[in-house]
Amino acid sequence: MAGKGGSTPATYSPSPTTDKKKPSLFNEDLARPDGRSFHQCRPAFFRTGAVNAASGSAYAEVGNTKVIVSVFGPRESKKAMMYSDIGRLNCNVSFTTFATPIRGQGSDHKEYSSMLHKALEGAIILETFPKTTVDVFALVLESSGSDLPVVISCASLALADAGIMMYDLVASVSVSCFNKNLVIDPVLEEENGQDGSLMITCMPSRYEITQLTVTGEWSTPKINEGMQLCLDACAKLAKIMRSCLKEAVSDSQE
Amino acid sequence: METKSSSSSTNLVDQSVCPGDVILDLSNMTNQTIKLGGGLRQDCDAISVMKAGRLRFSKPNKYWVENSQKRYVPHAEDSVLGIVVDSRSDNFLVDIKGPALAFLPVLAFEGGTRRNIPRFEIGTLIYARVVKANPGMNPELACTDASGKAAEFGALKDGYMFECTTGLSRMLLSSPTCPVLDALGKKLSFEIAVGLNGRVWVSAASPQTTIVVANAIMNSETLSGAQQRIMVEKLLERIH
Repeated sequence: MAGKGGSTPATYSPSPTTDKKKPSLFNEDLARPDGRSFHQCRPAFFRTGAVNAASGSAYAEVGNTKVIVSVFGPRESKKAMMYSDIGRLNCNVSFTTFATPIRGQGSDHKEYSSMLHKALEGAIILETFPKTTVDVFALVLESSGSDLPVVISCASLALADAGIMMYDLVASVSVSCFNKNLVIDPVLEEENGQDGSLMITCMPSRYEITQLTVTGEWSTPKINEGMQLCLDACAKLAKIMRSCLKEAVSDSQE
Repeated sequence: METKSSSSSTNLVDQSVCPGDVILDLSNMTNQTIKLGGGLRQDCDAISVMKAGRLRFSKPNKYWVENSQKRYVPHAEDSVLGIVVDSRSDNFLVDIKGPALAFLPVLAFEGGTRRNIPRFEIGTLIYARVVKANPGMNPELACTDASGKAAEFGALKDGYMFECTTGLSRMLLSSPTCPVLDALGKKLSFEIAVGLNGRVWVSAASPQTTIVVANAIMNSETLSGAQQRIMVEKLLERIH
């Protein structure tokens, strides 16, 4: 604004999330905006080796959500950092300016980096690279809902591609709650209108959960149902991730 | 979530494995000793995989995961190609594509004494042997073999150095001779040094030969033996 400090901007565009009344997302035949049933995930596609300069990288596409993750290292920690018997994990999640429908809206999610760190930390065997740091850089190319679960799953694949020692691959899925309905793998419109959300990050082969995030009001039976939904979806997602990784290994060591 | 763990790993040997895969169930094995190589760990009664790659087995009882990656994890007795990045009074700091810079002591050369300390400029390419590679410590190199002789180690003059994956460098050093090197060696005259850290140095009489050899090696990573020979023939057709 080039005018005076107190002057109002010339144009005004209302925020889509400030509506008083939530729009009805579901029609009578229980179909979602993209035509899926409540307990159906979006189709997922994974590919490793997307970034040539990185030690390991992966590209993930779940519905319209597109993510690329690069892993650099292990490399020597900065001299300023104290000696450590275990390695350090450094995570950073960023959005392209064109990732969201409203330009630059992706920068709102500052907490994603620490959540990614917490989700991956339990799966990486940090003792195998003492004194060193592994950097994980995630870039969301297109945001279409359930961004963080896609970022986490893609990052775990990139770490495996980089040859970082891991207990297991990490798969992540989220569930949204609408009144009495549980909706798995919500899209952006559903996330904007949800009553609560639950995200599980787990290591399917080991039956271990590395992160559980719950927002909103949930009853105990609903949480149990939501967790079971997520765990089943994680197991299916992990199968896709494994097949992608095995395909990449077969190609490189024919 | 269901996990199907194989009681015997015979069906997984030479197959692709991922982190979390269980390759052996120890509860079914009694009075048997097995050796675990890189990429495997014991998890209670199971042997599970820690990194993606191919499961290998050598008789009588050794299992390991072989994989290809861009970063190098130093191991003792590996031959590596390093680049001198700094010079200190007691040792040179050498980049070997590992997590930390390696130390090359100024006396770790054949007949090395305080009187004849070698002088390497920053950026010099060195073929060296990893002597120590302990976790939490910088690796230590030497430009001598186990008996103290210089052998093939030392500074590499001229030539062209390019980087590849650790899997490709392992393939080039495999025995019997890698098909791509075998096919190139029959038609062209060149000198090559392969480091297990994913660096390859090629020296030939003409730049043309150097480029052909380098391209052939870089193209060969995902090709089978027969495909490598065909690819070399096609490359050689263009220059003759």
